[in-house]
Amino acid sequence: MFDVKDWIRRAGWVDWFLLALRLLVMAVVGGGFISGLLHPRYGRDEWLSFAAFGLTIGAIYALIALGYTMVYGILRMVNFAHGDVFMTGGYAACFSLVACNRAGLLSSQPLLSLFLAVLGAVTVSALVAVLAERIAYRPFRKGRGLAPLISTLGLSFVLEYSARGMFGAQNRSFPSLPLIDGTVDLLGLVMPKTQLVVMLAAVITMIVLTLVVMRTKIGTAMRAVSEDQDAAILMGINVDRVIVFTFALGGMLAGIAGLLYGLVYKQVYFFMGFFLGVKGFGAAVLGGIGNIPGAMLGGFALGLVESLGPAAFLDGLGVDSPYQLRDGIAYTMLVMVLIFRPRGLLGERLSTARA
Amino acid sequence: MIVRLPTTARRALGAALLATTCLVGTVSMSRAETLGGVTDPIGVVKVAKGQPVFIGGMMVLAGPDLALGLDASRGAEVAFDDHKNMVVGHPIKYLPEDAGCSVEGGQAAATRLAANKNIVAVVGPACSSEARGGAPILWNVGIPNADTSATAPALTAPDRPVGLQGLARFVYNDADAAAAAVVYAKSLKVTKVATLHDGSLYAQSLAEKFGDLWKTGGGTITAAEAISPSDTDVRPVLTRIGSTKPELLFAPIFTSASAYLTRQKPEIATMAKVDVLGTDAVLSPAFLEAAGDAAKGYRLTGIDNDPKLLGPSYPALVAKYKEKYGEAPIAGYHANGYDAATAVLMAIEKVAKTDAAGDTYIGRKALRDALLSTTGLNGATGPVSCDKFGDCAPSHFAVFEYVNGDKETFELGKNPKKVYP
Repeated sequence: MFDVKDWIRRAGWVDWFLLALRLLVMAVVGGGFISGLLHPRYGRDEWLSFAAFGLTIGAIYALIALGYTMVYGILRMVNFAHGDVFMTGGYAACFSLVACNRAGLLSSQPLLSLFLAVLGAVTVSALVAVLAERIAYRPFRKGRGLAPLISTLGLSFVLEYSARGMFGAQNRSFPSLPLIDGTVDLLGLVMPKTQLVVMLAAVITMIVLTLVVMRTKIGTAMRAVSEDQDAAILMGINVDRVIVFTFALGGMLAGIAGLLYGLVYKQVYFFMGFFLGVKGFGAAVLGGIGNIPGAMLGGFALGLVESLGPAAFLDGLGVDSPYQLRDGIAYTMLVMVLIFRPRGLLGERLSTARA
Repeated sequence: MIVRLPTTARRALGAALLATTCLVGTVSMSRAETLGGVTDPIGVVKVAKGQPVFIGGMMVLAGPDLALGLDASRGAEVAFDDHKNMVVGHPIKYLPEDAGCSVEGGQAAATRLAANKNIVAVVGPACSSEARGGAPILWNVGIPNADTSATAPALTAPDRPVGLQGLARFVYNDADAAAAAVVYAKSLKVTKVATLHDGSLYAQSLAEKFGDLWKTGGGTITAAEAISPSDTDVRPVLTRIGSTKPELLFAPIFTSASAYLTRQKPEIATMAKVDVLGTDAVLSPAFLEAAGDAAKGYRLTGIDNDPKLLGPSYPALVAKYKEKYGEAPIAGYHANGYDAATAVLMAIEKVAKTDAAGDTYIGRKALRDALLSTTGLNGATGPVSCDKFGDCAPSHFAVFEYVNGDKETFELGKNPKKVYP
């Protein structure tokens, strides 16, 4: 049982500082929230819309976060180029749909067009991820120090500026799919079909990923390598093959995220992987890096906080233009979670399970 | 190991440090120089016989907003061509640097330009943020700049800091642009308007100025919102704005954010039928490429392209531009770049002294003073004359509307077509 007197006796200045920080954050968030409730500005529809926006971008963060977390789980390495693998998927999907549009397939065969876009995005992203593993990461796998980290950062810039060189520095319009244009009435909330499709697609993708990891032979091998690479080798698991598969799987998820991003936000550009990659990494850390359910939870939590946070408590505090600060809110939450729960939201569950 | 010096030595060291500080301070405060019979309080540039006169360029030349800078830079190059690439008997060497349409980009570009002591003047900046970051660095080494499309009022305000006092503006001032947007909004018979900016100096000052003028005129600003430049999801902020039920959204934001706004607005029921008024920050094919068909119907304020209002040299400029670059002007700032470069050349011609050996000497402060006192220039944008704070360009505004989402159809006057006045 928590003994307050004992805590006071043992606490140093860092403990007192963290306690004060915690109280301050609670006061600011709570004060803003209560003030917002006392002076309501938004109706039910607006709140539901904010939540839907948060879940949509959260789904994309989650898909990107899964790539970070799987590679970290296997290699204990952060792949900072993963955001740019997502970017290649976005471009591949965009070009696939543009080609379908030119061939007249987008309106006459929308499902085929969507399938081709998924195929293009998944194939290109998986290929880029696998090539990245082979060329930029494998040589450093046995090394110590910061070489692998620097290699991932370097590869990130190579991918970004290669895309800039090949496709130009300008934003490109992502074609709309007539199949999912328009709105849908969902329990009284009118929302764009695209958002619903994106959320469903992301959830289905995550379910499939969970089945692959938990119910297949290669998934079992992934978990074994994640637990103890040396023991996995002794058990006859081909670790190189598992690592390549992990990169390919992460790449596929990033490719799907790139397609979904394009469908919702309707633009792609060479630098899009940078910010989304940072957010995806943040989501992975928030959920507990190395933990697959944690990455999903972290992605959705980050998206919801970004979307609901400014309206929920910055409005109440009377902050002007609160949506300009939503990145600030998201990263403040990330920092707070890391201060008070360094392993992330689900990190402890993983370690307990392992223990 | 700590070495403790004797008292005398410490005093001597202190005196030496003080003397060094004073010396460095004196050098940086005053660089008065006499060269070849030219004396200038902040330095003289010597251009040896046969050597080029270096003129820098500081504007966005990459990224989604590149059209702003590239268009102005091309205008400047046409102006140099019109001078047969010669000034005061020396060839012109033009050195453009990408300033990224950001404070950091402006700082980086200006630092690179300032490191070249042979540069006499700079054409640009193209964005107000570039000006804020870069102009003080340039003026600190005595390089004046001829602004081609940075329009924030603060750049030429009477109380502008010393670092901005080397800047002469050859584009309109946003105080005038905001007034023009207000006049147009009033013509729509709306009373409730929301504003949206992206935190950049340009967008924020223009949105605020619009808001002030609108409220002064008896209108209501229902929401004054902002996004960050990297935002890709503008639906939450549109939902927030929609809850205030505006009749018009004034959004002086750049290409990428405007395209996100244009494509996501129809998804917000409360905003779907609210018109948006942007500015010439999106007057480029890049906006059409990013927004696609959603760009159709998008309205923006910009310089009126009525031939009667522009200078007599404008049609020739466009013809030369097309011939040189194989395409029509890619934005609305080529004439500003042309006039800025022409004013720089005129100022050089006014102050440069060439000796018997063929060497030319240009006083830096004299050049800045000459640039900021440009008068009677019959420029491509119309009659150009600077006021005492450095505002030089004429400003006649119009409202344009995009009628086609295909970037290949971009042509000022056709797509977007002029709809007001």
